[in-house]
Amino acid sequence: MSGETSIDRNKLGVGLFILSEANFFLLLIIAYVYYHAQSGVGATAASSLNPMRAGVYTICLIASSFTMMLAARSAKHEAPAMLSAWLLATVALGAIFLFGQVREYLGLISQDVTISRDLFGTTFFTLTGFHGLHVFIGLIALATLAGLALGGALRGRNIVAIETVGMYWHFVDGVWVLIFAIVYLGAIR
Amino acid sequence: MSQAIVGDAIAPASVEREGLLAWVASVDHKQIGIMYMLAAAVFFGCGGLEALLMRVQLAVPNNHFLSPEAYNQIFTMHGTTMIFLVVVPLLIGMGTYLVPLMIGARDMAFPRLNAFGFWVFVFGGLLLYFSFLAGGAPAAGWFSYAPLSELPYSSSAGVDYWALGLLAVGVGTVAAGINFIVTTLTLRAPGMTIRRLPLFVWMTLVNSVLIIMAIPIFNAALVMLLIDRQLNAHFFTPASGGSALLWQHYFWAFGHPEVYIMVLPAFGIISEVIPVFSRKPIYGYEFIAGSTVAIAFLSFAVWAHHMFAVGLGHLFDLAFAAGSMLIAVPTGIKIFNWIATMWGGTIRFTVAMRFAVAFIVMFTIGGLSGVSFAIVPIDWQMTDSYYVVAHMHYVLFGGTLFALFAGVYYWFPKIAGRMLSERLGRIHFWLTFIGFNLTFMVQHILGMLGMPRRVFTYPDLPWWGGLNMISTIGAFTLLAAMLVFAWNLIVSLRSGEIAGDNPWEAWTLEWATSSPPPLENFIRVPPVRGRRPLWDLAHPERADYLIQR
Amino acid sequence: MPGSSPFNPVSPQAQAIAASFNSTLIILGVIFAIVAGLTLYIIIRFRAQPGASMPAQDFGSPRLEIAWTIAPAILLVIMFSLSMRTMRVSDPPRESREPDLVVIAHQWWWELYYPRSGVTTANEIHLPVGRAMLVRLESADVVHDFWLPQLARKIDAVPGRSNHFWLQADQPGVFLGACAEFCGNEHAWMRLRAIAEDEDRFNRWQIEQATIPAPPERGLAADGARIFELRTCVNCHAIQGTIAYKRIGPDLTHLAMRQTLGAGALDNGHDNLARWLANPAAFKPGSHMPDLQLSSDEVNALVAYLESLR
Ligand code: HEA
Ligand code: HEA
Ligand code: HEC
Ligand code: CUA
Ligand SMILES: [Cu+2]
Repeated sequence: MSGETSIDRNKLGVGLFILSEANFFLLLIIAYVYYHAQSGVGATAASSLNPMRAGVYTICLIASSFTMMLAARSAKHEAPAMLSAWLLATVALGAIFLFGQVREYLGLISQDVTISRDLFGTTFFTLTGFHGLHVFIGLIALATLAGLALGGALRGRNIVAIETVGMYWHFVDGVWVLIFAIVYLGAIR
Repeated sequence: MSQAIVGDAIAPASVEREGLLAWVASVDHKQIGIMYMLAAAVFFGCGGLEALLMRVQLAVPNNHFLSPEAYNQIFTMHGTTMIFLVVVPLLIGMGTYLVPLMIGARDMAFPRLNAFGFWVFVFGGLLLYFSFLAGGAPAAGWFSYAPLSELPYSSSAGVDYWALGLLAVGVGTVAAGINFIVTTLTLRAPGMTIRRLPLFVWMTLVNSVLIIMAIPIFNAALVMLLIDRQLNAHFFTPASGGSALLWQHYFWAFGHPEVYIMVLPAFGIISEVIPVFSRKPIYGYEFIAGSTVAIAFLSFAVWAHHMFAVGLGHLFDLAFAAGSMLIAVPTGIKIFNWIATMWGGTIRFTVAMRFAVAFIVMFTIGGLSGVSFAIVPIDWQMTDSYYVVAHMHYVLFGGTLFALFAGVYYWFPKIAGRMLSERLGRIHFWLTFIGFNLTFMVQHILGMLGMPRRVFTYPDLPWWGGLNMISTIGAFTLLAAMLVFAWNLIVSLRSGEIAGDNPWEAWTLEWATSSPPPLENFIRVPPVRGRRPLWDLAHPERADYLIQR
Repeated sequence: MPGSSPFNPVSPQAQAIAASFNSTLIILGVIFAIVAGLTLYIIIRFRAQPGASMPAQDFGSPRLEIAWTIAPAILLVIMFSLSMRTMRVSDPPRESREPDLVVIAHQWWWELYYPRSGVTTANEIHLPVGRAMLVRLESADVVHDFWLPQLARKIDAVPGRSNHFWLQADQPGVFLGACAEFCGNEHAWMRLRAIAEDEDRFNRWQIEQATIPAPPERGLAADGARIFELRTCVNCHAIQGTIAYKRIGPDLTHLAMRQTLGAGALDNGHDNLARWLANPAAFKPGSHMPDLQLSSDEVNALVAYLESLR
């Protein structure tokens, strides 16, 4: 026997990082659910949010996970043109999602639903805000990858970079699906 | 990865030292490990100074040496410093230095992440201490209960520095945890299977899992507190609908695992030191390794034992009491296995071994008082009294810090290439042992006499003054002990006896290379066919792998 | 000398805890003696002698290890059942009725209200010997903790919720306690005392507290009453029978009958009262009672007035 393993250390590292992030989001979600369950006065999810519109943006984010998968596959098959294209598509879809979120925020603030107004505002903006921040960071990473791919600098061993960013992106995406189900669709009351 | 380790000749140790800059820019795990320990030592000086100020204030009843504002800042900073800036980084620093050596690797899996983790930790610590200059240190205790920690009741920026600083420290800690796991899982030398890991490495591995699961809970809570304070949100402000208890749940869901984060690697140190000086293998490796996993799991099911007085209902209390008591079982296994390891041995009572043996007894006292808290009605009397202060110092100082001293005396020769003075070491040991028990034994009694914790002064009730005076005398004995220790470090670094590769005739891989080890650790990693590679090398006819399957 | 140790219980509730604490200490003491005894024996017996040979290499014995897994587990089951039994006695279920006493914790004093007689006072709980009082505990600001070690379990005062518990003293006397949860600056001087007296005296005390003290007609005390209204004392304090009704600070209606000032920071008395009014921060720095820059004449008048409040 030997200590030789087939685990890629970068993937393992990113996996563990994602695990720690998952714990972080879990706590934010619990806070939301906890206050939602006992919230009395003030704004509520039902009165302030538009699940239909958010649903459209959600579909964009989910779609971006697929394009990310396709990007990773193109990288594996050494198809640089396809790789750049799928990466760009992912960035575009992610950016649309973020744009949607900004619009939603502006709308809420104009109705005076803010982080300091009441517990719905506090928990909603904290949860979705931190998610948005993660999307933003993911977009920077993706855009960097896309730039490298366009410049032809991404090939061969760099596939791990695409895979790890992909892991992160799928995670961010998964968190949103959970948030959407809980906050917008009221899956947990 | 691991193939790269074997057989490469590498540069000698001397080229790696090139002034301060080489240290600051270093990504070598040994240098980073040393820097962790040095930084933590400086913070230990701060935390110790704060402790002495508190003890002076408490020496006599109705004392006016410190104002309540000052006292409350000082005890908050003392607890925060000792836990987040001393114990955790010391343990991480030791791991950073030792884990790659013990598994036969050249470095950590992510050397730059390693350096990043260290520097964020330093940054976080400095941020925390900067609060003294920026209008007042935090004064809400090391667990900053809301709503006391919220803006209406803590209006200076202290709590903000506290939260930001600990957020930074937390990020560094998570980085270290990830690095330990990846290093241990991917960089082991050939033959070093998971089941052959030295126990220190095993415990650091389990500990890292705890870190990754627990610290983010704290980070989330800190972020919410900051949002409350900075953006007028309402997470923990009952006046506007928030919940004071949510903070308590969040804090302790992190805080209890945190206390095991502070003790598991210490168990690892003890599990290395005791066998070597008893000249016997560790007794029941599997039980010790397995019980560690049990502790890690259980540590997430006990947090509300810090909240028995909140009034959450008997069933709720009992559920968490059961979990807390269960933890005594895997911990007891370790205690008895260490005793069995020594039993029948030929024990050399070096200073390292003295600290390790003292650890067993001192930690048991702390553990047993912990179990008395897990009996809910006893906690209903003793919580938030000096009995708690006694408990936590017995486990943290009598436990973790004693283990760390054992570790320093054990591994200093490897790190510095020179032996620590055993003569000064014995003085250090006895002063510490006596001073420690003087300081904290009487605090059990103070708690039982009804003295609450976190009071800047107290009325002159029977016995209170006298017992507190004893505690203060003990604290100054500890100061003497630490000065002897510091002197020992300095003197031995200059002119200690040359250590050689393996002065203790120990059995794990770090002793197979020179002291200090060269830049990439090993000229050649010896074959690993069991848990004690160097024993196998020295005693081929009685090698472990001949006996064990 | 009044005491404050949970080992001198004066109620069945505290008695139950003390008893189980004692038996627990014995069990834990035995465990400690085993661990320490074995260690001591090892230190003496297995110290390396010069020229000693390598000891037998013993890798463990699952049978023994299982033994020391199970033995502690059994002890723990015993302690757990002890715990369950004691909890029922030391914290009996509350009855769903009006409490006998409402305690509201403030930074850094205790507001006490007896709903049956309508009496409001501060920091010193009077209770009849031998009768269990149902107490409701609340907080006006941060988390505090009610601790009278000889009388009852300790319990938190959490803002936004109320807790109930039983308070009882089976013998007359003064019993000391304190706020046990850190609550800010003056947590140390948020002390508490219980004064247990027989039913008659307790009832008399309640009647005295419920009567409105006669306002002073003339002299220094009458000046004091006027100053009390002028110098904003009325913004924070209540005195029955006057215009003062605020509850930011302790109710002063029968201040002269209390033993302490500032939640235990000072003994109540002529000189101390004057010193307190002249500068509360000298005894309780950080207290929410401000220094009102009173002249010494004003202080004397106020003291005379407050001392008339019996
Ligand atoms: C290194 C850190 C460390 C460790 C290891 C422990 C270990 C334990 N702690 Fe402790 N604890 C703290 C650090 C630690 N604690 C701190 C810092 C606080 C205070 C926080 C604050 O409020 O500021 C605290 C507070 C604390 C409380 C809350 C007190 C209160 O505020 O009301 C409780 C309650 O249950 C508790 C329980 C325990 C238990 C059951 C263990 C067990 O893990 C102990 C297990 C060990 C043994 C039992 C000894 C060896 C075993 C045997 C010899 C076998 C036989 C034994 C039996 C059958 C009993 N601890
Ligand atoms: C590992 C953790 C740790 C350690 C080691 C210590 C060490 C000490 N602690 Fe502390 N303590 C805590 C963790 C720790 N503490 C925590 C978590 C709290 C709770 C805080 C809260 O309530 O929020 C607490 C609270 C606490 C209190 C209660 C305060 C209160 O409730 O009001 C007291 C009171 O006596 C106290 C005393 C001491 C003393 C005298 C020491 C002594 O042992 C210190 C001895 C050290 C020295 C004297 C330093 C000397 C060093 C040098 C001179 C530099 C040498 C340089 C090198 C070695 C390089 N501590
Ligand atoms: C801003 C509010 C405020 C004002 C104004 C104020 N007090 Fe107070 N007072 C308090 C508070 C709060 C306490 C409780 C202090 C503590 O124990 O921490 C207190 C305590 C006292 C006590 C001690 C009561 C006890 O039972 O311990 C006396 C006596 C007293 N005040 C008298 C006065 C007088 C006389 C004035 C006017 C000259 C005055 N106070 C003005 C808030 C105020
Ligand atoms: Cu109120 Cu401490
Ligand atoms: Cu705990």
